[in-house]
Amino acid sequence: MKLKYIKTAIIAIVLLQVTACTDILDKDPVSSFSASGFYKTTADAQAGVYGIYDAAQSVFTYNFCYWGEGRADNVQTAQTGESLTLLSNNLSATASSADWSALYRMISRANYTIRYIPDVYEEDNATGRQLLGQARALRALAYFYVARVWGDAPFITEPYTSGDQDIFISKTDKEIILDQVEEDLKYAAANCVDKFNSNNDRIMFTKGSANALLTQVYMWRHKYSEAVASSALVMSNPLYSLVAIADWGKMFSASYSKESIFEVGYNDTETNGLRVLYAIGSYAIYTPSVKWKESIEEGDLREDFVYDMVPADPKAIWKYLGRGESDEVSTPAKQNIILTRLADIMLLRAEALNKIGGEANKTEALTLLNTIRTRAGLVPFDTEADAIAMYGDLESAILHERSVELCFEGHRWFDLVRTGKAISTMGPINGLSDEANLEWPVHQNSLNKNPSLAQNPFYN
Amino acid sequence: MKKKQANVIFRSEWGRKKPILLSGLMIMLAVLMTFSAAASPSLPLQQKKVTGKVTDATSGEALPGVTIVIRGTTTGVASDLDGSYSIDVPSNSTVLQFTSVGYASQEVTVGSRAVINVAMQSDVTMIEELVVVGYGFKKKRDLTGSISSITASSIEDTPVKDVLSALQGRAPGVFVTSNSGAPGDGITVRVRGYSSLNSGNDPLYVIDGVPVESRTLTTLNGYDMHGLNPLSDINPGDIESIEVLKDAASTSIYGSRAANGVVLITTKRGKEGKATVNLNVFTGMSEITRHLGVLNAQQWRQVIIDTYRNLDRYNNAAIPSEPHWTAIDSLNPMNNGDVDWQSVMYKQAWQYQAELSVQGGNENAKYAFSTSYLNQDGIILASNYKRITSRLNTDFKVSDKVTIGQNISFSNGKNNRINAGGTGNLSLVQSILVRPPVYSLTYPDGSPIYYFNGKRNPVGMAEECTHLNTTNRLIGNQYLEYDIIEGLKFRTNLSVDFISMKEDEFYPTTVDYRAGYNWGAVRAITNVTWANENYLTYEGTFGEGHSFAALAGFSMQEWKNETTGLNGTYFASDNIRTLNGAGTISNQAVNTTDEHAMLSYFGRITWNYKGKYLAEANIRADGSSRFGAENRFGYFPSASAAWRFSDESFADGLGFLTDGKIRLSIGQTGNESIPNYISGGEFAIGTNYLTNSGASPTVMPNQALKWEVTTQYNLGIDLAMFNNRVSLVGDFYIKNTSDLLFAVPIPETTGFTSLTRNIGDISNKGMEFSIITHNIDGEFQWTTNFNLGLNRNTVVSLPQDVLTNGFIQNGTYHILKEGEPIGVFYGWKFLGVYSRDEDNVNDVRFGSTTGKPFKGGDPIWDDLNNDNVINDDDKQVIGNAQPLFAGGLNNDFSYRNFSLNVFLQFCYGNDIYSHLNNMRNWVFAYNNVSTDALNRWREQGDVTNYPAPTRNDPLRNEYLRVSDRWVEDGSYMRLKNLTLSYTVPSDLTSRVGVSRLRAYVTGQNLLTFTHYTAYDPEVNSYDGLRIGVDEGAYPMSRTVIFGINMEF
Repeated sequence: MKLKYIKTAIIAIVLLQVTACTDILDKDPVSSFSASGFYKTTADAQAGVYGIYDAAQSVFTYNFCYWGEGRADNVQTAQTGESLTLLSNNLSATASSADWSALYRMISRANYTIRYIPDVYEEDNATGRQLLGQARALRALAYFYVARVWGDAPFITEPYTSGDQDIFISKTDKEIILDQVEEDLKYAAANCVDKFNSNNDRIMFTKGSANALLTQVYMWRHKYSEAVASSALVMSNPLYSLVAIADWGKMFSASYSKESIFEVGYNDTETNGLRVLYAIGSYAIYTPSVKWKESIEEGDLREDFVYDMVPADPKAIWKYLGRGESDEVSTPAKQNIILTRLADIMLLRAEALNKIGGEANKTEALTLLNTIRTRAGLVPFDTEADAIAMYGDLESAILHERSVELCFEGHRWFDLVRTGKAISTMGPINGLSDEANLEWPVHQNSLNKNPSLAQNPFYN
Repeated sequence: MKKKQANVIFRSEWGRKKPILLSGLMIMLAVLMTFSAAASPSLPLQQKKVTGKVTDATSGEALPGVTIVIRGTTTGVASDLDGSYSIDVPSNSTVLQFTSVGYASQEVTVGSRAVINVAMQSDVTMIEELVVVGYGFKKKRDLTGSISSITASSIEDTPVKDVLSALQGRAPGVFVTSNSGAPGDGITVRVRGYSSLNSGNDPLYVIDGVPVESRTLTTLNGYDMHGLNPLSDINPGDIESIEVLKDAASTSIYGSRAANGVVLITTKRGKEGKATVNLNVFTGMSEITRHLGVLNAQQWRQVIIDTYRNLDRYNNAAIPSEPHWTAIDSLNPMNNGDVDWQSVMYKQAWQYQAELSVQGGNENAKYAFSTSYLNQDGIILASNYKRITSRLNTDFKVSDKVTIGQNISFSNGKNNRINAGGTGNLSLVQSILVRPPVYSLTYPDGSPIYYFNGKRNPVGMAEECTHLNTTNRLIGNQYLEYDIIEGLKFRTNLSVDFISMKEDEFYPTTVDYRAGYNWGAVRAITNVTWANENYLTYEGTFGEGHSFAALAGFSMQEWKNETTGLNGTYFASDNIRTLNGAGTISNQAVNTTDEHAMLSYFGRITWNYKGKYLAEANIRADGSSRFGAENRFGYFPSASAAWRFSDESFADGLGFLTDGKIRLSIGQTGNESIPNYISGGEFAIGTNYLTNSGASPTVMPNQALKWEVTTQYNLGIDLAMFNNRVSLVGDFYIKNTSDLLFAVPIPETTGFTSLTRNIGDISNKGMEFSIITHNIDGEFQWTTNFNLGLNRNTVVSLPQDVLTNGFIQNGTYHILKEGEPIGVFYGWKFLGVYSRDEDNVNDVRFGSTTGKPFKGGDPIWDDLNNDNVINDDDKQVIGNAQPLFAGGLNNDFSYRNFSLNVFLQFCYGNDIYSHLNNMRNWVFAYNNVSTDALNRWREQGDVTNYPAPTRNDPLRNEYLRVSDRWVEDGSYMRLKNLTLSYTVPSDLTSRVGVSRLRAYVTGQNLLTFTHYTAYDPEVNSYDGLRIGVDEGAYPMSRTVIFGINMEF
C-alpha cells in the first residue's frame, strides 16, 4: 500500500520534471541585453545614442590634445613619453595616439544605433529622426578624426551582428570617408533638434552643432563656398553668441557657455585627462611654447587666463582647470572638452571668405577677425593692409588669431595641415619634411590583428 | 626554555583563553611517551613456544614473510624462507594473527597446541576494492577505463588542509600546482594536459554525485590575479576516497564538462555498529623556505649612482646628472635606514586544526557527523586563514525497497589575505623585494612611515590594509533510492550548492600620499547551483557467467551567480571601514546576475563475461544554454573493452602473474567553458553619458558557436605479480580536441576586441604509470608507490586568419603557435653583455636603423633576422612552461607500532618565466635589486653577464622586456611529506577507553631540490593558459606539524 504511493509519487515527480525542464535552456541575460533583445523600445534607442557619447568621452580624453596640439608649435613638453614622441616627430607604430580603437568603438556603437533606430520608430517620427541625426553626427565626428589623423582607413558603416561578416577590412580612400562624413552631417543638420532647452544644447548634437562640424569638414576639404554657407547657419543660430572677455576663462573652466557649440561632457565620475595634460606636477605634460608666448600681441587680455605669466618658465596651462589651480591637486578633471565654439566658426568663415576673395568677402573676413581681436582687447585692423603689415597676409593673421584664441583646444595641428603650413612651421622645430609624415602610423596592434591592413607609407 | 617560547607564541596567536588546548596536547604527548616506554618490555608470564609452517592454500607452497603477531600486542615474528616460524606466546588463550600481502588474514587461538600450521587463502578482495565511477560503483578489477583512486588512508595519515593538495603527486597524469603558498589560495589541477585554448581546463568536480561549483571565484577582486580555491572549504578529513576519471570511457558519462577529466570526491558515510568517535588534532609551524639576496644600503646607493652615470653615456651629458636629492643621502632621516625587508615581513607562522567525527548506525539508520576548525597563519605578516566545517551524512531505510538519505555540509572560511602577486605598488611580495633598504621604518619620532616617495611600506600594507575574504558554503544533497524489482533500481538526487563570498578591502590614509584619502571596497558573490538527477540502474546475470548492467537517466542543472560591489573613497575615519563611512561612493558600483543551465540525458551498458571479457558503452546528450539554439545539444559517446588475459589458459604457465588485464577505450567529451550569453551577443548597460543611461554592444554575436569536442583513445594494462607484491597500472593515451572555443582577437575596427569562435585543434599524448611494490613484509614492512605521468601537448592547428606573425599572443609572456605546446614563452634571447662599446661591431641598434646603438654594458640580444636592429622581429620561443614529466614516489615503512612515510614529489623539464626576477633586477624608481647586481658591468672592458643598470634606460633593456634572462628551469624534486607516527598499543589505550591512539610528527616541504632562483618553483601567477609565470606569488613554506589521532 505504502509502496504504491511512493511509486506514484516518483512517477509524478519524474513526469513533472521532464515536462517542466524543456525551457530551462532558454537563458537571456539578466543584467544586460542580448543582441537580439535590445533595440525593442524607444528607450533602447535613446540609451544606444548615449552609448555613442560615452565612447566619445574616452576618445577625446587625452587624444583631442595629442592629435590636435601634440605635433604642433604651440606646446612644449618637459616630459618623456607620448608628448615627446609627438613633438620630436618620432612617431612609430607603437605610439599610443596611433591607436584608433576608441574611435572605431564609437563608430561601431553609432553603426548599431543607425542600423536599429529605424526598427523602433516609424520612418517620419521626429524623435527617431533626431536620434538618428545625433548618431550620424557622432559617426561623422569619429570618421572626421580618422580621416584627418590617419588618412585612408577602414571604412565601416554597418554593425557587426554575426560571426560570418568580414572583419578584415582594408583601407578606403579618405575622400570617400569624408564624403560620408558630409552626408551624415547634412542629415544631422536637417534632422537634429534646434535646441534641447538645457545644457544638452552644448554637449549633444543639434542642427547648429552639426552645421558647425560641417564647417570644419568643408574647411578641411577646402570647400570654401560650402563653408561660408554652413557657417552662416551657425552664426545666425540664436543659441550661440560671443561671451564677454571677463567670462572668457569660464568658457573652459565652467563649461556650457553660450559661445560653446559642441563640447564633450564630463563630470565628477566621468573624468578626462585635462589635468594630467595641462596642470599637474612639477611640469605638466604640456606647457606653452616659448614661440607661442612670444607670438602673443602686447595687451592681449586672454593671455592671463591661459597660463601663469609671472615665472619665466610656466609649469602649467591654466586655461581649463582655472587660473591659479594648484599643481598638486590630483582629482581628475571634469571640465568639458570643447570641440567647436562660435569663435572657431567665425574665424573659419573669415578664412573661407578670404580664400574666395573679392572685396565684400575680404571686408567681412576682416570684420570677423576684428570682432575676435577687439574682444581680446587688441586693436582692430582697419584695413587688410594692417593685417598684411603685421602677419604677411590676411590668412596668416587669421591663423595667428586662431592659434591664440583657440590655443590648446586641439585645433592647431589640423590648421597647419589644412593650410599647408605644417612642414614650413614644424620643419625648423623638429625636422618634419615629408608630406606622408603628416599622417599618423597605423598602430602595430591594429596591423597585427588585421592582415588586410597596410601601414601608412611613411612608416613602412 | 622551549616550552616558554611555545607559550609566548601561543598567547599571541590564540588569545588568553585557549592555552588549555595546548596544555592538553602536551599532557597527551607526555602520556604517550610514558605509554610507549611502558609498552616495550613484554610481560614475562607463563611463556610457551609455538612453531609451525605457513603455506599457500592453493599451491601448497611455503610462504615466507608472513607476519605472525600476538593479538593486542606488538609482539610478532615473520615466517622464514621455508615458511616456518617460531613464537613465544604468553598463554593458551593467546590469539595469533597471520597476515601477508595478497592473502586473507587469519586469526588462530593457540589453545593447547604447540604446532600450528596455517594455509593462507589468496585474498581476492585485495583487488576486489570498489571504485566510484560516474553514477555508481564498480569493482576495481572490472574497470575498463582509466581511473586513479586515492583512498582515505593516504589522506588521513598526512595532515593536508585541502582536498586538492591531497592529489598532488599521488595520481599519475594528474598535475597539481599550488598557485601560491597563501593559505586557502587557488590550486591548478590538470588531468592529462591542456585540452582547451580558453581557461576551461579545469576538471569537473563531483562530490557525492553532485557536480559542484569549482570555478575560481576571482571576479571579486579586479587586480589580484589569485583566485581562491573553491574546494578549500571542504574538510579533507571527511573524504573516503577521491577518484580521478581520466579516459573518455570513464568521463563521457559526464559529457560536456568532462574533457578535462572528472574528480569524484566521496565522503564518509555511517556504518552499522557501535558509534566510533574520532578526534584528530594537529598543530604546526611554518616558515619561508629561503630569503632572496638583495642589496644592503651601501651597495644600493652605489647602484643608484651608477644608474645615473650610465644614463649620461647615452645622453652625452656634459655635466653628470645628479641623483634625486634624498636618494643617496645617508644622513637624511627618511633615507638612512638599512632594512632587511624580508626579515621584517616574513615570520614563523602557527597553525592549528581540530577535527571531531562520529559515525555509527543500525540496520535502518546510519550517520556520519564531523566538524573541524582550522586556524592557519600565513608566513607573511598579518595573513591568516580560519575555517570551520561541519557535515552530516545520513541514510535511512524507509522500507525494504526504499532508502532515503541526505548529505549536508557547511563551511565558513575567513581569509585575511594580503595582496601578493598583484601588480605594481599593490603587490606585497614584489614590494618586499624591491623596496630600497634605506627607506626607514619609522620617522625620527618613532611613528611608522607607511608611504614615502611613491612607495607603500609593505609593513603598512600588511598591517594597515584590510583584505578579508569571508566564504560561507552549504552543500546539501538528498536522495531517494527505490528497489523496483530485483536488480532494477531507481534513484533520484536533488542537490543545492550555495556559496556566499564577500571580500572587504580597505586602504587607510596612512598608506596613501593624498591627504585624507582612503579607499575601501566591498564585493559579494552569491552562487547558487541546483541539480536534479534521476536514473534507473539494472544489474543482472544471464546464462553462464554473463552479467549485464545498465544505466539510463536524465539530469538538470542550473547556475545562478550574483555579484555586487561598491567602492568608496574619503572615509571619515580609518577605523570605520564599512562602506557607510565613505564620503564618496564611486561609480564602480556593480550589481549583476547571470545564469546558465544544462539539460542532459545519459545511458550506459556494461557486459562482463566471468570477469575475463569486459565491455562498456556510454552515451550522454548535453544541452547548454550557452550555445545558439541550433547548436545547443552535444552528443558524447564512448566505448571500452578489457580482456583479463591472466584468466586464459596460456597464462597458467606464467606463475608470477597474479592478475593481468588489457584495457582499450575510445570516446568523446566536451567543453562548454565560455562565458554565459556570448553566442547571442550582449549589450551592456552603464555606458552612460553624464547622468544619461547608455547601453552599448560589448559582445559580438556568434550564433554558430558550438561545443568543443575532445576525442580520446586509451590503451591500458593492469598487472599484478608475485602474489600482488608488485602491481602495475600503465596507460597510454591520445587526446585530440577540435572546435576549440577561443576568444579570438579581432580588428578593433569592428568595435570589439575579440570574438569567441570554434577554431583549431590541440593534441595531448602521453603515458602514465603507477607501480606499487611490497618490498619487505613481516614485522618490518616497506611499501613503495611510484607514479609517473608524461604528457606532450601540441597546438595542432589554428586558423590562419586569427594569427599575427604566425601566432596568437596570449597575455604578455605566452604565445599560441602551431606545432608548439600551450604555454611557450616568447621574447628576446639574451646572449651576454657587450664588454666595450667597440664590441658592437655590426652597429646593432634599438628599435630601428636610426635607433640608439648598443654600447658596452648593454645586453647582447639575439638578432634573429640579422638586420642589426633589435625589434619585435627578433622575438622567439624562449621556454616552455609544461613539464616533460611529473610524478611522486611514496615510501611507507613500518616497524611494530612505528611507521614512517616519505613522500617525494617531482616535476621535470618545465620552464618558469620569473617576472619577479625581472622586477628584482630592473632599476626603476629607486627600486632595490638582487645581489646579482654586484657583478654588474661597471666600466669598459668588464666581462660579465649582468648588464649596466641604467636609469630610464633608453634601450629598454630591462623595461618589462620579455627575455630569456628571466626564463629559468623550473624542475624540482621536493620532500613533500615526511611523517613519523607511533600508534600506542591498543591493550594499553583500551584501558582508558581509547581504541586507537596515534601520534605523529610531519614535515612538509622540508627539502626542495631546484635550480630556480626565486622563492619556489611551484608557481602559477595566472589561471588558465598563462602558466608558469612567477609574478611574485606568496612564497611556499616549510612546515612542521605535530598531531594526534584518537578513536573511541
